[in-house]
Amino acid sequence: MADTLLADQDLSFRLVADSAPVPMWVTRADRQRLFVNRAYVAFLGCSYEEAVEFDWRRIIHPDDSEHILQASMTGEASLQPFTLEGRYRRGDGEWRWISSISNPRWDADGRPNGFIGVAHDVTDAKTAEIALREREAQLSAMVYQSAAGFARMDLNGKFTLVSDHFCAISGRTRNELLKLGIQDITHPDDFAASAQQMNEVATHGTPITIEKRYIRPDETSVWVNNSATLIRREDGSPHQVLAVSLDVTTRRKSEVALKRASESMRLAIEGAGMATWELDLSTMEGPWSPNRFEILGYPKSASGRAPYSDWRARIHPDDLERADAAAQRSFSEGTPFEIEYRILRADTGEERWLRSNGSIIPASAGQDSRFVGISFDITDRKRAEVQQQLMIDELNHRVKNTLGIVQSIARQSIKPDSSVSENIEAFEGRLAALSTVHNLLTSGLWQATSLSDLIVGSLRPLARNEQIDAEGQRVMLGTKTAVTMALALHELATNALKYGALSVPDGHVHIRWTLSDLGELKLSWIERGGPKVVVPEKGRFGLRMIEKGIAAELRGTVEIVFDTDGLIFRLKAQLPESED
Amino acid sequence: MLVEDEIVIAMMLEDMIIKLEGVPVGPATSLQKGLDMARSETFDAAVLDVNLGDGNSDDIANLLAQRQIPFILATGYGATTPNAHAAPILQKPYMLRDLEKAFADIFCVIKPQ
Repeated sequence: MADTLLADQDLSFRLVADSAPVPMWVTRADRQRLFVNRAYVAFLGCSYEEAVEFDWRRIIHPDDSEHILQASMTGEASLQPFTLEGRYRRGDGEWRWISSISNPRWDADGRPNGFIGVAHDVTDAKTAEIALREREAQLSAMVYQSAAGFARMDLNGKFTLVSDHFCAISGRTRNELLKLGIQDITHPDDFAASAQQMNEVATHGTPITIEKRYIRPDETSVWVNNSATLIRREDGSPHQVLAVSLDVTTRRKSEVALKRASESMRLAIEGAGMATWELDLSTMEGPWSPNRFEILGYPKSASGRAPYSDWRARIHPDDLERADAAAQRSFSEGTPFEIEYRILRADTGEERWLRSNGSIIPASAGQDSRFVGISFDITDRKRAEVQQQLMIDELNHRVKNTLGIVQSIARQSIKPDSSVSENIEAFEGRLAALSTVHNLLTSGLWQATSLSDLIVGSLRPLARNEQIDAEGQRVMLGTKTAVTMALALHELATNALKYGALSVPDGHVHIRWTLSDLGELKLSWIERGGPKVVVPEKGRFGLRMIEKGIAAELRGTVEIVFDTDGLIFRLKAQLPESED
Repeated sequence: MLVEDEIVIAMMLEDMIIKLEGVPVGPATSLQKGLDMARSETFDAAVLDVNLGDGNSDDIANLLAQRQIPFILATGYGATTPNAHAAPILQKPYMLRDLEKAFADIFCVIKPQ
């Protein structure tokens, strides 16, 4: 039967067909194959006879079977050339993409007489096409799903294509954006940087990334990291610019917040007079705050950094060993560093007290371990401590001294021949006089007190104002003199109250004093109008205080005259220039 | 000899010394007066107030040590008082028996010499 055709045809057709590298076949109108070429047989991997009879529908890939059979039926019925494409299993079991073209044949009378088919193996092209499609899908997924916004612009910056995310970042619709250019949505403060970026990219083709702000229609701004790349035509000439924008507002905000927080912290620390410093333990140097240079008396270094040795060089020799030990302990054991020590300033050599605290930050994420510390000047506090100790010692001294005086007064006030109540009264009166003068001294911050204040203060509790007139220039008495003087005045007044001018309503005491340029004080106490004066017995404390005490204290002379008209007391003394 | 710048206390000290059957010399109420008396006066022992209005009594103490005259220091400062000559110390305010004991101390020390 095969010979029917071949009898009619040139044998050379078979030869030509067999030498073709692609499978070929010829069918009759009843679809029976008349001929298959060598490549056809090779594809199936069987004998010629089997190949002619082979039902090719068996080797169509299940996914392609339906559309190939459909197209085949339609094609054959149309009596037009038709193409089938799909995967077929080769004889060796491998799936190959085959594209076949079938052309109708006509007999001498012009009736349809089957088809001639040629098949091309298009597997390589098909694989490439699929790969390309996948890549495109990935790319578009990247463009449309990534956090970045994509925008294509012409060389003047006018948008020609924008991704959804770019619309979201810029806060505008696609239609709106396509009427605008990149500069229309750029924050005015970033115009210059943005224009420069566009220019560089468009003219030189250099990809450039900047951070800038877009202004949204609601006038809020959004910080973006914007990378721009040039898209060239096939001939290499500049065509368009692709911009990829990432919203970095949150990062910028936290950066700004962090910067502000650290700045506030720094100002607070420095405002509190504290200097900060860091030490890189691998290089033994690090940044110092400006006031650390100032505290140590160094000029500020250009880099703002200084070596550990600069600090160490300033430590007072007596404190160096202690400071070294504290630092080494902290470096090696990680214990907090805390020390009060003296330095000698680099510029003036002045000794100052510093307190330093610090701790180790262990090595992490590419950073060597560091030491961070603060230092502040505690010289004033240290001086105050010394001052306070002096004050406490002084207070102790004064209290003891005062107790000594009270003790003395107590002993002198208790007379075996007086009644208990008289003894107590005398003691209390003297104690009150002592208390009064202390009040005066305290109000003058334990400095000098004036004689007139002293007289008024000492006599007020004992006498009515109209019985006393006191007059004299301004005389300042030191504390010790004031105490003695107050006690003497108290004794004079007590004596006058008991026996002298103050014991009767009409009695008077006239007190007068003068102070010469050379510091000689002359004071007189003259009583008038009292009862007849009786010379008292010797050895009374009051008298002794008046006569001896005041004379010894003031290094002067005291005269007491028991005049019948009234007692006269005269004091002539050289006032000490200054005393405690 | 008494050196005490607080005259009221000096007066009590005089009384105490009389009670202990001593004869008071002074009182010197300033450093200068104390120095003068320490040089010129004749006495067996001294009670020195450490803190005088015009300075402390170290110089008087040194002078007395040179003259080999024993002395007692009286102070309100407590145990922190510098005491180069290891003299007995009376804490203010002191009692008669404290003074008596201090005198006993210095006369015991001096007697063997």
